[in-house]
Amino acid sequence: MATLDQKSPNVLLQSLCCRITGKSEAEVAHQFQYAVRVIGSNYAPTIERDEFLVVFFLMLFSCLQGVLKHRWSVLYLLLSLSEDPPLPRDAHSTPFYCTRPQSLALSYGERSTGLSASVGTSGISSLGVYTLNGPTPTPQPLLPAAGGGQPLGSRLAWTLPVSSSPSSAMVPPAARPPLGPPVPAARVVRPRRDGDPAGEVNEAALVRDILYVFQGIDGKFIKMSAQDNCYKIDSKVVLCKSLRDTSSRLAELGWLHNKVRKYTDARSLDRAFGLVGQSFCASLHQELKEYYRLLSVLHSQLQVEDDQGVTVCTESSLTLRRLLVWMYDPKVRLKTLAALVDFCQGRKGGELASAVHAYGKTGDPQMRALVQYILSLVSHPILNFLYRWIYDGELEDTYHEFFVASDPNVKTDRLWHDKYSLRKSMIPSFITMDQARKVLLIGKSINFLHQVCHDRTPPGKITAASKSADTPKDAAELLSDLEGAFQEKIDAAYFDTSKYLLDVLNRNYLLLEHLQAMRRYLLLGQGDFIRHLMDLLKPELARPATTLYQHNLTGILETAVRATNAQYDNAEILKRLDVRLLEVSPGDTGWDVFSLDYHVDGPISTVFTRECMGHYLRVFNFLWRAKRMEYTLTDIWKGQMCNAKLLKTMPELSGVLHQCHILASEMVHFIHQMQYYITFEVLECSWDELWNKVRQAQDLDHIIAAHDVFLDTIISRCLLDNNSRSLLNQLRAIFDQIIEFQSAQDSLYRSALEELSLRLQYEEKKRQREEEGQWGVTAEQEAEEKKRIQEFQETIPKMRSQLRILTHFYQSIVQQFLVLLMTSSDESLRFLSFRLDFNEHYRAREPRLRASIGATRGRRLSNI
Amino acid sequence: MASAANANLNAVRETMDVLLEISRLLNTGLDMESLSICVRLCEQGINPEALSAVIKELRKASESLKVQSQPP
Repeated sequence: MATLDQKSPNVLLQSLCCRITGKSEAEVAHQFQYAVRVIGSNYAPTIERDEFLVVFFLMLFSCLQGVLKHRWSVLYLLLSLSEDPPLPRDAHSTPFYCTRPQSLALSYGERSTGLSASVGTSGISSLGVYTLNGPTPTPQPLLPAAGGGQPLGSRLAWTLPVSSSPSSAMVPPAARPPLGPPVPAARVVRPRRDGDPAGEVNEAALVRDILYVFQGIDGKFIKMSAQDNCYKIDSKVVLCKSLRDTSSRLAELGWLHNKVRKYTDARSLDRAFGLVGQSFCASLHQELKEYYRLLSVLHSQLQVEDDQGVTVCTESSLTLRRLLVWMYDPKVRLKTLAALVDFCQGRKGGELASAVHAYGKTGDPQMRALVQYILSLVSHPILNFLYRWIYDGELEDTYHEFFVASDPNVKTDRLWHDKYSLRKSMIPSFITMDQARKVLLIGKSINFLHQVCHDRTPPGKITAASKSADTPKDAAELLSDLEGAFQEKIDAAYFDTSKYLLDVLNRNYLLLEHLQAMRRYLLLGQGDFIRHLMDLLKPELARPATTLYQHNLTGILETAVRATNAQYDNAEILKRLDVRLLEVSPGDTGWDVFSLDYHVDGPISTVFTRECMGHYLRVFNFLWRAKRMEYTLTDIWKGQMCNAKLLKTMPELSGVLHQCHILASEMVHFIHQMQYYITFEVLECSWDELWNKVRQAQDLDHIIAAHDVFLDTIISRCLLDNNSRSLLNQLRAIFDQIIEFQSAQDSLYRSALEELSLRLQYEEKKRQREEEGQWGVTAEQEAEEKKRIQEFQETIPKMRSQLRILTHFYQSIVQQFLVLLMTSSDESLRFLSFRLDFNEHYRAREPRLRASIGATRGRRLSNI
Repeated sequence: MASAANANLNAVRETMDVLLEISRLLNTGLDMESLSICVRLCEQGINPEALSAVIKELRKASESLKVQSQPP
């Protein structure tokens, strides 16, 4: 340097010694000699010229102009005088995600061209106090990819000048995670003392505190304040604002940790928490373990620094800002966990799984991965339950976590209907309602097979059980493919089990046969048998009900069975057919108390429950009555046909007889239509539907449902339900009328026939006498005869009026019935009314009918 | 002539400032005077490693003297 004094090295060296030791020249003689000796020994610099060192200096280096001749040596001198001994490599085993600082470095390198310009300016602008004439420093990739140079780089590259205060220095790097937090220059000036009570708390102490706070333990300065539920820095402590803020941010982690820890601790004491909850706590525990691992690494680093003594430069040690960066990810994780914990308070079982699943619906991939992992652990027990239930039919659920509930009080006969139910609150949200129902059905079927059908085939034969929920990993896979694999599994199990169940029911217990037998016997399907039975029972049932004995009637039943096609039925079915006598009220004849019965037991009683059998009996009653009417009318008609010829000789009876015939044919028509309606529109149609459904049924529930629908339809159509009570009463009234007519006609015929026979006798006697040569008849005999005939003829008007009353009454009842039918809501009943009054015979008489028929007809026409 | 000298002076001053900055960043503990002496020595061809060893020795010696002089 031209302008500097050209002093000799010795002189310079001496003055250097004086300056460094602070002593006068005389006293440094010893040191000076030493110095001369050392420098005189001509050794070259031993270290390899570390490229990285050079690179770092390039920035400042390029500030230096060509003033210095021996630039390098000066710089090297400065370097070797620096207070940073080469740090052992392992102290920089960067804790936690080992790639993190490097990845940060890499990312930094990527962004270097973009950002380092700006950051470079921040670095340079700090130096800008010293205006540089040199070329603007081209930003070089300042950070090597290797981790070795990292600490120096962090040290060198972005350290800020002493002059600027630490707080303002925070501003530029705050936007980007600062790599090398600068050492507050105050440290260099002041000797390092820990926790100076009179002065500011320095950062190392704070870091130590923070590390305790991370674990939830109160530190020296930062304590948990219970009323605000947060970590607060002791207000007595003097602390600059930036440090205070940073430590508050870091203390949040401690709070989150406490929350999660409290939950797991509380739950581990709870005995009734259940398997799902336990797995949830286990997963939380695992996460906390990872967190503790991080903390232990941080601790160890702090320890290393302590071991190396006070003189260790603090640039690569733990600082609050470094902690901020490193704890960012754990903070996010802990936040997720704390949120989960909050949301899952007080839930257990399937509810807990639903809650966790709800948290999985997030866009953040990290959070999603974490929640998915927890979800797979949590749902593992549920899936285990599920598979055991589906494949074995066993339910071992002590904590009531599964969504299938079993009621232990229910006995086997109600097993299908009442024993197993769905616990809706426990259905996890990733299992749809449909799947849950199918699952319930499958397990129910297996249990049904075992207990009710006594079918002991091992479940392995029913479905190919795939035990693939053994590990949580499988559960995770399953969860990721809920639509496909899981649904398939359930469907396969469902189809196989239900099919097997139906097979067993049909093969071993003849369900379909019994269904048909019900139709044939209780619903009067087997016509010949019913007719024969009625024939045989007629004399019996005409007696008062109290004189009937069941065994008599059963005997008659047997006879009927043997004499008709019913004998070719399955013995199993005939065994169940029986007679039942209903309760006797006074004044009942046999007709009122007679009923057939069909015994059901075992598995088929699941389909034919007690209520179903009750319904069947009511329908049988109704049908039996209608049949009886038909039967009665047939008798009447027979009587009419037989006696018409006979009574032709009595012309005075012709009017009465004519009336009888008319009334009878009206009744016959009515009953015909009713029978048609009942047989075809009600029974046959419903039966057809039922049969189709049963044939196509995939499981027992379908069959039961179809059967119930069938019975409901029949009951409502047969006017047996509550809505049609008035109609039914009308019908009963009509039936009563028919019976009255029958008795009236019978008495008429009896008296007529008696009269006839008497007359015939008289004629016979006359003829006989004439043959004998006597007078045919004497005068008194003739007078007697005449008187008798007179008397007879006087009874005729009485009979006629009786018949007229009967007819009138009958017709009025029928008209009311028709009106009711017309206004009923059921379409088929309306059609029935149409048919009943096909020639508008009643319409002519009944103004109400006229109006209503016309109205409906008009409406109907308008609809067409 | 004077301007050239001035320019030179400025350059020198700037260089020294930069070097001082570097040394401060490196925490070398050198003040301006010592730094200028060192720079002059290096410019004259002194081996930098030796020089740094010397300086460290001197520092250590002065420290120990200080400790000795302080009575407990």
